[in-house]
Amino acid sequence: MNDSPLHRALALTAWIAGLFCLLVCAILVYEHFAAATNDPWKSPQLLALKEKLAAEPKNELLQQQIRQLDLNFRQKFRRRLALDRTGAWLLLGGGLVLALAAAKAAALKKPLPLPQPQRDAGQQAVRLASRARWSLAGVGLMVAGSLLFIRLGNTSVLPANPAAWQKLSGQAGVQEALVEDVPALSEFQTNWPRFRGWDGSGVFTPGGGAPAWDPTTVPAILWNSAIPAPGHSSPIVWADRVFISGGTAARREVFCYNTSSGSLLWQRAIENVPGSPPKIPDVPEDTGWAAPTMATDGRRVYAIFANGDLGALNFDGSVAWTKYLGPLKNPYGYAASLAVWGNNLLIQLDQGDARAAGSKLISLQGATGRLLWERSRPVPASWATPIVIEAAGQTQIITLANPWVIAYTLAGGNELWRAQLLENEVVPSPVFAGGLVFLLSPGARLMALRPDGAGDVTKTRVVWTNEENVPDIASPASNGELVFTLTSAGMATCFEANDGKKIWEKDLDLEVQASPAIMGGCLFVLGEHGALVMLQAGREFHETGRTQLPDKFVASPAFANGRLFLRGVTNLYGLGPAGAKLARQL
Amino acid sequence: MLRPLKFIGALGVMLFVAMMVCAEQRFPPPDFESGYRIPSASTPAARQPWLQYADAGVLLAALGVAVWLIYKKRSRRGLYWLSLFSLAYFGFYRKGCVCPIGSPQNIVYGLFNPDYAVPVTVLVFCFAPIVVALFAGRAFCAGVCPQGALQDFMLVKPVAVPLWLEHALSVIPYLFLGAGLIFAGTGTGFVICRYDPFVPFFRLSGGMFILTAGAVFLLAGMFVGRPYCRFLCPYGGLLRLASLASKWRVRVTPEACTQCRLCELSCPFGAMRQPAPAGPDPEWLGAERKRLGWLLALLPVLVVAGAWAGSKLSPAAAQLDPAVALAERYTRQQTHPVQYGLMTPEALSLQRAAANPAEILAAAAGLRRRFDLACALFGGWIGLVIGLKLVALSVRQNRTDYEPDRGACVACARCFTACPNERVRLGLMPAAEGAAPL
Repeated sequence: MNDSPLHRALALTAWIAGLFCLLVCAILVYEHFAAATNDPWKSPQLLALKEKLAAEPKNELLQQQIRQLDLNFRQKFRRRLALDRTGAWLLLGGGLVLALAAAKAAALKKPLPLPQPQRDAGQQAVRLASRARWSLAGVGLMVAGSLLFIRLGNTSVLPANPAAWQKLSGQAGVQEALVEDVPALSEFQTNWPRFRGWDGSGVFTPGGGAPAWDPTTVPAILWNSAIPAPGHSSPIVWADRVFISGGTAARREVFCYNTSSGSLLWQRAIENVPGSPPKIPDVPEDTGWAAPTMATDGRRVYAIFANGDLGALNFDGSVAWTKYLGPLKNPYGYAASLAVWGNNLLIQLDQGDARAAGSKLISLQGATGRLLWERSRPVPASWATPIVIEAAGQTQIITLANPWVIAYTLAGGNELWRAQLLENEVVPSPVFAGGLVFLLSPGARLMALRPDGAGDVTKTRVVWTNEENVPDIASPASNGELVFTLTSAGMATCFEANDGKKIWEKDLDLEVQASPAIMGGCLFVLGEHGALVMLQAGREFHETGRTQLPDKFVASPAFANGRLFLRGVTNLYGLGPAGAKLARQL
Repeated sequence: MLRPLKFIGALGVMLFVAMMVCAEQRFPPPDFESGYRIPSASTPAARQPWLQYADAGVLLAALGVAVWLIYKKRSRRGLYWLSLFSLAYFGFYRKGCVCPIGSPQNIVYGLFNPDYAVPVTVLVFCFAPIVVALFAGRAFCAGVCPQGALQDFMLVKPVAVPLWLEHALSVIPYLFLGAGLIFAGTGTGFVICRYDPFVPFFRLSGGMFILTAGAVFLLAGMFVGRPYCRFLCPYGGLLRLASLASKWRVRVTPEACTQCRLCELSCPFGAMRQPAPAGPDPEWLGAERKRLGWLLALLPVLVVAGAWAGSKLSPAAAQLDPAVALAERYTRQQTHPVQYGLMTPEALSLQRAAANPAEILAAAAGLRRRFDLACALFGGWIGLVIGLKLVALSVRQNRTDYEPDRGACVACARCFTACPNERVRLGLMPAAEGAAPL
């Protein structure tokens, strides 16, 4: 049988298949070791270049060398992957032939069975059981020894008892709490530190020695200053300074003006941001580079731009820190404004579509830019700005994006509740007044939500909805008793805050993009083509005044120190109740 | 002429290098340059529901065919072709997932993590082979399991493993099962799947360690029939238990056993059991009874001691969980800082931990509490398995004929045609050549 032609053929086939497999293996092994020098994690050449680049971040030549080397590595990597894949299939085929041929050849050589009678079955069974028990004991000891070895080889630095855990977590908490003092809440309230005021509600309550404002008096332009760079961000105010951002593809900047004179105190470019690519992505012209409104905590001002550059500037204009958060995927350009609360700088980075999982809410430490926490959000791109509220015993961050209203804790970014209420492209921001959150599903409905639930509150916490005259861009304003909305076509509507019933509506004959604001019982409405309309913020419609400004307006108004600050396309305006040299009363 | 040693050496080298070249690659994303967006890590899109149901249907159909081939047709050839189909479909086409071997982990993970709903198809994959085993033995192992089929095809020259060693090693699948379930229950991962040595072959890709393990099992499988199935497969352990209670059992021949021992020699998996004397030997009876009593008394001691020892394993076992490992690294970094390279995974993970250390530590503390309980249970389970096996080895069994061990038999049908009486029954040889009782 051994010498049969079939056996010889099978043996030869097995040998040929084995040699073929060895040859394939030799090639793959050679490629494997040859590729070890092309590992970007370990390449000394690439690591040295990166170290150099860290020291000279602007060195274009170094960047070029790194890019070229990186490209070479990638090309070689792709080639090797293709080779490995082909090799794996060849090995599989060769191995199959080898196994089949060898098995058949071995079967031909297999001697015929010649079983012998079984003797002493009883004795054998006893001996077998005895040996099996001892060998089982041996296996048990080996298992115990292995586990002991694993235990001794993996020492833990984490505590073994709950008290020590508490101590360790406490230390981490202390580290978290090592942040600077921030101004008192009352200081935030007397300033306009973010989009639509200290709490994002668009309401300013004069106090702290600010000049009173007579709602029947039409404000006049006290000063105007040219804005060096375009942008749609609204002004923010702290003490005697007004800040706005502006930018182009070439340069993104922050501008600081004096609130009394309107003089430009300084301007500072946000540039050389680590990680920010030199090649700037395209941004739709209508939105521009500086649509998000800045924010301040009274210690620094913060600005974010459509390319993802984020900067913190001290009040003297020096750069505190910068950070790159891009690239931002937003079909109309990134426009959500920054929010501050205590030491937290909050950034709602909604982008792409929900499936791409690119949207997130970020909390940074204002003093250092250190990431405090980051939460992924199951939503597509949005343009609404988050607000921070104190409700149900918690400090909550309220965020809007299609389709979810989601509340997070300020402390750790943990989700508190969510409601599936929104449609379309969400631009208007929420407001909080009288214990309710008022929000708009653009063009669909105005809603009031009680922010005290947990989990999905879609069916349990909506207090009312109203589908009349629903805006698509401007955010609502509320004094806690009434809610005011303003459509892009200029239809102003007043609703009861506690049940959502419409009280009045009036076509103001305006085109509007800016959100309205309330101060001293007066609702300020700013038309796109310069009309500033003052309405009584009450149950009856009453237009107390109207004036025409010589500019085009998209940004929302800001109040502080008894002044009204407006950003036009060309100029920044400071308005006040006294003097009406440039105002034209209608 | 084929020289076995050279052949083994060549094959060994081949598998070793194959393992090296096929190891999974990691390649860093570009550090800078515009436009590139690092893709977020995500699991592949779920298979279409109807395709999942189709997979479950194929499994049920294959199980049905396997039972028919074993009990009705008694066909080794049929099982061979069914194995080939299963290897192609469940192995290379479905890439070994979902497979019944890993499915108990899904069930346990679903029990301890309310956010995870166990898919119906996973339930089918988990329980259908067990239900079949309760009636017809290990039909799944016979012709439906791709891992078993791969080892079966590699079998060249089977060598008998001593039965005492077979018994001792047969507890390991249960220990692996226990380990897999505690890691699944704590949400750490599915270690049974991660350390399945054959899945990388089905996917033509895998890590260095597991490819090495797969190569070792395939090499060993050329001489030791189905080493993974017999000495490691946790699902095989479950099927072994179910088969002990099966309604029908595999018989070498429906005719009378001539005790020729040909079936014993034909079984490459050491599943054939010899006839045992009907009554106890008076000489040993007293000692046997005494031993059994001691072992029964030892059983609770082993369980308690195992639970105590297992609880000491918790700090080490918990480090397999990524959240605990990160907390360990972060805490260690505070006292013994290590300088990691720019943008390395270690440096990035530490940055992540530094963003919110309290949260990382709180998560690790919660997981450590889970592991304390899980490891104590695991230790107790080890004691229970070893104790029960010791008891089982001290209980006398009566057998009059050569017959397959109900638990160990994978119903491969090799022994059927080795039996002279079966060959006569099938008409493969004349009755005159049939073996007479020895």
